Amino acid sequence: MALNVLEERALAELDLSHERPFRLADHLSSVRAASAVVVLLLWEIFGRQINPLFLSYPSAIARALLQLLNAGEIQRQAMGSLQVFAVGLSGALVLGIIVGLLMGRYRLAEYLLDPYVYALDATPRVALIPLLLLWFGLGTSSKIAIVFLSGLFPVLMNTFSGVRTVSAHLVDTGRAYGAREGQIFTKIILPAALPFIMAGIRLAVGRALIGIITAEMFTAVTGMGALLVRYSSALATDKFFVPVIFLALLGVGLSSAVEKLQKRLAPWKETERAL
Amino acid sequence: MISASDEQLINELGLRRRHRWSLYDHPNLIRAASILFFLVVWEIYGRETDPILFTYPTAVVEAFFKLLATGELLRQAAVSLGALAAGFGLSLVLGVGLGLAMGRSRLAEAIFEPHVNALYATPQVALTPLLMMWLGLGFAVKVAVVFLFAFFPILINTASGAKNVSASIVEVGRAYQASRRQIMFKIVFPAALPFIMAGVRIAVGRGLVGMIVAELFTAITGLGAMLSLYGNIFETAKMFVVIIVLAGLGIGLIHATQMLERKMARWKESERAVS
Repeated sequence: MALNVLEERALAELDLSHERPFRLADHLSSVRAASAVVVLLLWEIFGRQINPLFLSYPSAIARALLQLLNAGEIQRQAMGSLQVFAVGLSGALVLGIIVGLLMGRYRLAEYLLDPYVYALDATPRVALIPLLLLWFGLGTSSKIAIVFLSGLFPVLMNTFSGVRTVSAHLVDTGRAYGAREGQIFTKIILPAALPFIMAGIRLAVGRALIGIITAEMFTAVTGMGALLVRYSSALATDKFFVPVIFLALLGVGLSSAVEKLQKRLAPWKETERAL
Repeated sequence: MISASDEQLINELGLRRRHRWSLYDHPNLIRAASILFFLVVWEIYGRETDPILFTYPTAVVEAFFKLLATGELLRQAAVSLGALAAGFGLSLVLGVGLGLAMGRSRLAEAIFEPHVNALYATPQVALTPLLMMWLGLGFAVKVAVVFLFAFFPILINTASGAKNVSASIVEVGRAYQASRRQIMFKIVFPAALPFIMAGVRIAVGRGLVGMIVAELFTAITGLGAMLSLYGNIFETAKMFVVIIVLAGLGIGLIHATQMLERKMARWKESERAVS
């Protein structure tokens, strides 16, 4: 609301401006920084007094990080994990999108497949890990299978519900103008469902990351998850935190990368489904 | 809208088209056929494969009744559910409490946010070995893992729900001399409830995953331990029983929370995707 001149003058005469008393709520970013620093400091102080077998402290973790980086151990294991992750996830994305498109477009496919899809989607994927290990052994293929299964359902379900929400008018218009089924898929349905698919991919990336960690923790042979198990059973707590921090950063990096991709590929609509 | 006289007219003129019987009107028929086909193929194929690696439906049913008769299944399920309930209850109480505080007070938000974000970004599975180191292999570690898995969806949804409560409702409450506690419990909490319930739904699934992960790793008691035990001694049929029980548990819990959600928070449907 704009004030007129008289009101402005009256306000100036009354001199309502007074120094605001200091309030913590006005300095939120400093509070945030202080909170982080205090916790790190407390961790450092208490961590040094506690038996190093049970809890480490920030400076020891930093030292361990440098040591492992120099030895090349982290890089080597990370490469292994990321390759498995990439193969399993791409498989999940391809199959998830194709099956999701088919189930969304054709009712026969939907009714044939949805009992399995819903049942498997509700099954906690971790419960399948022992079975997959039995079938595929302790090597790369069982890890790929676990990553694949972890990533498959978020993409599939989101693609499916994305296709279902594509307006029938759009499809009818396309058909009225003589679009073939292939064109309807690639030029109408896919773009319209893309925001959903991207949201599904975002969920899938997170799930697949958890999948690869769990799989590697179980097989405990190679990869970041194996490092976690190895260092924790060796009670090397400082080293244990190195892969933890790496995985946290990886998670944040991947999800922000997908988010960026999502904004670029599907800027026209923001929808997602919580799973 | 067709009125009664229109109906009569249509009938008299014989315009009513007979609805042809279509398979698509009976989706459950297609579903049943699909499941039956799958089970039969599984049965035939499964009988021919090595029983160490694979099994077939009748063997799974047989194993189910055997496990039920010995009471093994129920005993382990009770242990698992106890841990799940304890961990989930804890995360519900703390998540909603801290979430309300963070949503209502910018100061609390600034203090806790850096730590919540850091812990939330860390894949929670990665912390399981550390928790096992601290808490041993018993009940406590399961509760802690379930808590860790289920806590963040509830916390983050509650905080964003409490933050999104319309300021004008709160102002009206204040104008009518509501105390802080009344504002919290009569205004903010009900308004945030749909968000909280969406968080609870996500958290239930995650809590179940946490329970299985903890039990798979500790491998002493509970359904997860049965899974890992039967995997190790190649009792594939029994393993399938446990997987199916866990799948049923997942489906049941998700349905229960969805019903609860509809009952408790009918007035608004909003959610936040938490990957």
